[in-house]
Order: sequence, then C-alpha cells, then structure tokens
Amino acid sequence: MKLQSKPAIAAIALILGAGQSVFGQKPVKLLNVSYDPTRELYQEFNAAFRRYWKAKTGVDVTIQQSHGGSGKQARAVIDGLPADVVTLALAYDIDAIAERAGLLPRNWQTRLPHNSSPYTSTIVFLVRQGNPKRIKDWNDLVRPGVSVITPHPKTSGAARWGYLAAWGYALRQYGKDENKAKEFVARLFRNVPVLDSGARGATTTFVERGIGDVLLSWENEAYLAINELGKGRFEVVIPSTSILAEPPVAVVDKVANRHGTAQVARAYLEYLYTPEGQEIAAKHYYRPRYKEITAKYKDRFPEVDLFTVDEMFGGWQNAQKKHFDDGGTFDQIYSKGR
Amino acid sequence: MVIGGRLWCALLLLAFAAWGQGDGAPAESLEERVKRLEERISQLEQALGLAEKRLQAVAEGTGGPEATTVNLDAETTVSLDKVALSKLAKVDELDQQIRVLARLRELDQESAALRARETPQTLTGVDGFGFKSADGDFQLNMGGYIQADGRAFTGSGSSQVDTFLLRRVRPVFQGVLYKHVAFRVIPDFGEGKAVLQDAYLELRYFPRMSIRAGKFKAPFGLERLQSGTDTMFVERGLPTDLVPNRDLGIQLAGNLVSTRLSYAFGVFNGTPDGGSVDIDSNSGKDFVARLFGTPFSGRGRLSFLSGLGLGFAVSSGTQDGALPSFKTPSQTTFFSYVSGARAAGDRRRYSPQAYYYRGPFGLLAEFVRSNQTVENGGTSSVIANRSWQVAGSYVLTGEKATFQRLSPQRVFDIGRRTWGAVELVARIGQLNVDPEAFTLGFADPAKSAARARSWGAGVNWYLNRSVKLSLDYENTKFKGGAAGGDRESEGAVFSRFQLVF
Repeated sequence: MKLQSKPAIAAIALILGAGQSVFGQKPVKLLNVSYDPTRELYQEFNAAFRRYWKAKTGVDVTIQQSHGGSGKQARAVIDGLPADVVTLALAYDIDAIAERAGLLPRNWQTRLPHNSSPYTSTIVFLVRQGNPKRIKDWNDLVRPGVSVITPHPKTSGAARWGYLAAWGYALRQYGKDENKAKEFVARLFRNVPVLDSGARGATTTFVERGIGDVLLSWENEAYLAINELGKGRFEVVIPSTSILAEPPVAVVDKVANRHGTAQVARAYLEYLYTPEGQEIAAKHYYRPRYKEITAKYKDRFPEVDLFTVDEMFGGWQNAQKKHFDDGGTFDQIYSKGR
Repeated sequence: MVIGGRLWCALLLLAFAAWGQGDGAPAESLEERVKRLEERISQLEQALGLAEKRLQAVAEGTGGPEATTVNLDAETTVSLDKVALSKLAKVDELDQQIRVLARLRELDQESAALRARETPQTLTGVDGFGFKSADGDFQLNMGGYIQADGRAFTGSGSSQVDTFLLRRVRPVFQGVLYKHVAFRVIPDFGEGKAVLQDAYLELRYFPRMSIRAGKFKAPFGLERLQSGTDTMFVERGLPTDLVPNRDLGIQLAGNLVSTRLSYAFGVFNGTPDGGSVDIDSNSGKDFVARLFGTPFSGRGRLSFLSGLGLGFAVSSGTQDGALPSFKTPSQTTFFSYVSGARAAGDRRRYSPQAYYYRGPFGLLAEFVRSNQTVENGGTSSVIANRSWQVAGSYVLTGEKATFQRLSPQRVFDIGRRTWGAVELVARIGQLNVDPEAFTLGFADPAKSAARARSWGAGVNWYLNRSVKLSLDYENTKFKGGAAGGDRESEGAVFSRFQLVF
C-alpha cells in the first residue's frame, strides 16, 4: 500500500487519536441474575459493594439486576442472558447452568463457604390480619375452603421449597409414607387457585389482588409484604416445621471471563460473607450464616424446626428428578387435581 | 377478609342509625360522646368477632347454630340466621372466584406480552420487508428500487438515441447480526447488465465510530452520496463526473457533537473520476476523507439555519492506468483522453460542498477540482479539471424539502382527491477541462469538448413515499469538441417512473 500523502497520514493519526478517546475506559459492569424476592436485598447490597470496591481499587462498578422465577432465570442464562454472577433460589438451577450450558464448573458449590449459600431462609405462611381461617400449620392448608397461594414449582424456587416443605411435613406426620405424603400435597394443590411464575407475582396475587387465605412465602418476602405492602393487614404464621432453604450464589465463569469481570465478580460474591454483607442480608430478613449477626437480629428469626433437602430428599438432584421434572409427582398431582 | 369488611360496614351503619335515634337526649359533653363511641366500637368488635366465627362455621360446613343474634346495644339487634350466613359465605366465594378469574386473565396477558417480546417479528412497510429477532439483535431487510426511464434528445448535438431503458433495477439486502454487525448487498440489473453496486459489512461496536469494509461509495461528492432515488434530477449533474463512485476499501465513519458533525475517512483502491471499479489495476491507493456538518441543527435561536449543511472532502493517492471520460447530464460522453494517455502519478481532489433546506425550499451546491498526473508518449503533466453546480428545488404542496427522500403529506388517492407532492427543480452547472489536456496532446480538441455548461429544469411528482414520477429537461452547451469549432448544444428530455420498496 502506498500512502504517500502527508496530509493523509496526518488525518489518519488525527482520527485514530479521536478514536482513542472514543474507546475511553468504561466502568466495570456486572449483571447479577437473581430470583424474584431479592430485589431489595441486592439494591442495598450493590450500593455497599460499589462503595467498597471503589475504595479498594478506585474502579467504578455498575451492577445491573435481573429478577424472575429462579428456574426461569436459569433457563434465560442457559439461553444466553450474559450473567456475570447468578444468585438463585436453589442449587439445582445453578447446576442446570453448569451442566446444560457449561458456563461454570460442576463443582461450583465448593468455591465459597457454606456450599456457596451466604444466607438461608425458610418457607412461612402469610395470612390475613386476625388469621380468619385459623391457619396454624401445614395440615390447615389442606382443609376444604382454604385457598392457598403459591407460585408454580416449575418456574419458581420458592414454590419448590414450599412444595418440599409440605412433603417433608407429611412424611413426618405419616411415618415416611410416600403415598400419604403425595396425597397430602395433592390436596394442598387442589386448594391453589392461581399459579404465578414467581414469588413476587404470588405476593401480588395475595396482597394486592386480595386472593386466597394464605400465601406460602419466603420468610423475607412475608416480612416485606407486611412492612412495605400492608402493615396491619397481614400476619406471619410460623409452621411447626419447615425446610432450610439455602439460596446459592456463583460466578458464571465463561461470561465473566469474556467480559473481563471475573475478579470483581468473585469479590462481589465474597462480600456477601463479610459482616457488612451479612448485616444487609439480615436487615432484609435473610438468615445470616454468622452467629454474631444472627444473635444481633435474633428477634427477627424465630426458632423453627428445619429439615434440609439433603436429609429429607437426598439432595436437589433427586428432589428435582422425582418431583419437578416432566412427568414427576408435581405433574401427576397437579394435572390430576385440576 | 372481604366478608368481614362488609359485615363491619353494615354493623357500623346500623350502630350509627341506632345512635342517631338519641338526638332528643340532653346535650353531652365531647368527652362523654367519645367515651360512648369507644364503648360502641368495643361492642361492635365483639359482635363482629362472634358473627365471623358463626359465618366461618357455616362456610366450613362444620355446623353452628341455626341463627345468630348479634346485639349491638340494648336497643339494636341484628339477627343472622343460618341461611343469611350461608348466603354471605356464598357471596364471599363468588367474590374470590371473580378475583381469581381476573388474576388469571392478567397473568395470561402478561404471558402473551412476554411471548410477543420473545417472538421474532416480521417487518413490512414502505421501506421493504424483513424479519427481526425479538431482541432486535438480528435483522434482515429486503427492499429495492426500479427506475424505468425514457430519454428523448432534441437537436443534432447528441449521438444518443431516443429510448426507454431500465436505468436501475436494484434489490437491496441489508441486515444486522449480533446487534453490532451490519451488512448491505445491492446488485444492479439495470441497462441489461449485472453489476454489484454495494457489498459491505460494517462493525458498529462504538457509538461514535463504525468501521466499514467492502465495496461502497467513497465519501466524497455531495450529490454522489445522495441516493440515486433521492436526487432532484433524473441524472446527477456535471460535478459527479469528477468524484469517485463506488470503490473497494475500508472506512471509519461516525457522528460527533450530537450528530451535528459527521466524519468519514477511508483507504480505497482508487477509481478514476466518476468511476466504479471491482478490480484494482495497480498498487496505489486513494485516501479519501470528508467532514460534513449541520452546525445549526437543533439550535432554537438560529432555526432558519438549521437546514444548512457545510462540508469539505479531499482525496489523495498515486494511481497509474485508466483515465476517466466525462458525460453530460444527458449521459452523452463529451470528453475523453486519447488512447495512449494514462494516469501516471499523483491524483488529488477536493470539494467544498453545501446544502440548505428550509421549509419547501432546497438548495444544493458543490465544487470539485480533480488534479491527475497524465502521461502520454513521454510527456507528463498534472491535468486540473474543475466542475461546479447549483441546484434548487421547491415543493409546491408544502412538504419540507430534504436531502433524503421526500414524504408526501397526503398520498395520491383519486377517491379522496389527494394528489401526493409536487416539486419543481432547476439547476445550472459547468465542467472545465484543463486546457493543457489539449495543448499537450492528451485529448483531441476535435472530438472532446473543453467545457460543458448545462442547465436543467424539471418536475417531480411523489405519489407516495415509494412512487415518484419525474420529467426533466436538460440543455448542455459545449466549448470545442468538434472539428473547427464547438460541438452543437444538446437538449434532452428525461422521464422516470420510480418505485422504491
């Protein structure tokens, strides 16, 4: 190539110089793909992390949030939603991302403390003020005339936790009789008039649309409904037993590496385990992992007899396959019950 | 619950009615009245609790008394028998069913809206047809244009024949991949030939800069850069003879200062003046750069200048080989170099250019100077050719004139007696060939004219945004170009039926 003209070369240099300024360094961006009720938690947490990261590295970090039913969000990531981190409702959904899309290693759960679950929660009942249907425990949910609101277990993590909590309760009640447990949960779902796709939608159905007598809800979502949507209109009922929900978090390695955000993504999740992160979780009614923070907020978290998915169902893989995969027990009882 | 609310209201109404009966009693102090009200509320709460329990029992079918009597106070009693309670329970049940149906409908609508967002879209409209992914990241558009022309020549100055022809038949394929990668392919089947006019891809990863590579118009001539469907006249004016047409190369381009300033520069194979090439005949390259600004667009105080555009383009390169020939707007060749003459070194062009649009009025002006080192038989010299034109337009039907395609306010529709848009156009232009081209023997003065001066006038009728009918008259006078004097002037009438889709 012969570019013999000096003005030409000067013009190229000028434009390339302008191009440099066009390419100026941008702040780091993270996309946190999360489940439905964590909006408020991560709004506050993200602000805290931004301050922390700016102070530590001098780099501005912008964190975008995406929320929806946990299963639905996992499918979106598998289909290409470019999440740098996922903070979903249950480990199975992140397993699915690892297995079907290969976006992170299968041992992702070993990379952070407490099986990568920085906080826990459980399923409680939200009832209307005065508890007019006198709902005290799981067996009250199967009574005729009691209308139960829960999201769809195929798309919502909260719904799967709630379903398994009811199943576990029935197993304990009926001496581990699976058939009786199945019948119990089938009766419960016969009392469900609407299945929203996510926990936040179910809260809307119960709180804003005035449908149903009881909402099966994340503990944090129940308190949020009381504090922000209807003080004096609702009550939380803690059942005799429930399930220990361990919402996990993970860096989506392939996406983060492609974006050049792996380091900040890791730091973001590790910050959930710091006292600051744990405090923010507790403020939003997520049960913290560390005793000091738990003790500080003990009034918020009543003692509940909690069983785990591992001890009652042999882990999420088994639970998913048996209950929620196509043709599983949920399909059997729900289609039969409609 | 809803039923509780209704019952509470009913009881309150009854209570207040009962209370109102005591109007004839001696006046009470405020404190006494408040105290009495508090007692009444307490009684009502007790009554409501009792009624709800009875109602609950009825609703659950677990029995309950045959009738419930609720004493509001010593004087007021509300009786709710089992039938009444059952009816209230039924109302509550129906209310819930209605709410459930409404919510299910709401969820269905949300779901439908979500599906619509995820479903690829089909695009149809005046700008063609196409498909788009739900997120808009992938897109394919198919359009095109057809220009069916008629040409009739007057006088004896032209060697052209009166004819109908398909001037342009160009399908247009363009699209976007992965949101930031655009492409465009335009073949042309006009005039009985198959030519690839445009074929390029463009990377749009940066908001203020795109990178384009392939075959496309070099960023130089103002009228040349206007689409062939949008020009005022059927054929472009004389300055277009001196500017590069389509060329192969790579270009950086974009907008700055809130799109008031556009820039483009690129490196191209290099084409002779007015030419398009597909294959390079030498290793020399042309550098082409253009700045064009509309400095007053969007400025409130100087709104009368908002349609003013000013620009400057330069090209520079070293080229050996083919030389151009020049045509009148009527497409008659009036100048060509002698065989044996060839480009042999530096070629530099520059062009100041401007347009101005205000309301129905439009004006376009440009000047081009092209210097080319020419060699023939051992003689070499820089030949400097110059051209200019000024063209104006006025839209009779009130639409705003524009550098892009005009959109009629009312499309042609006989039934509604609307006639589309009508535009009058006129222009004048000139091209001067460097006298040295003749004195040094690079051109034959008996065959090639040293100057062409043309004027034209015409009318464009836009039936709608897609269909345009044009009728122009062009007259060109020459200096030289014939044995013993000037070539006879040329007159030509052009007509065009144009469809763009």
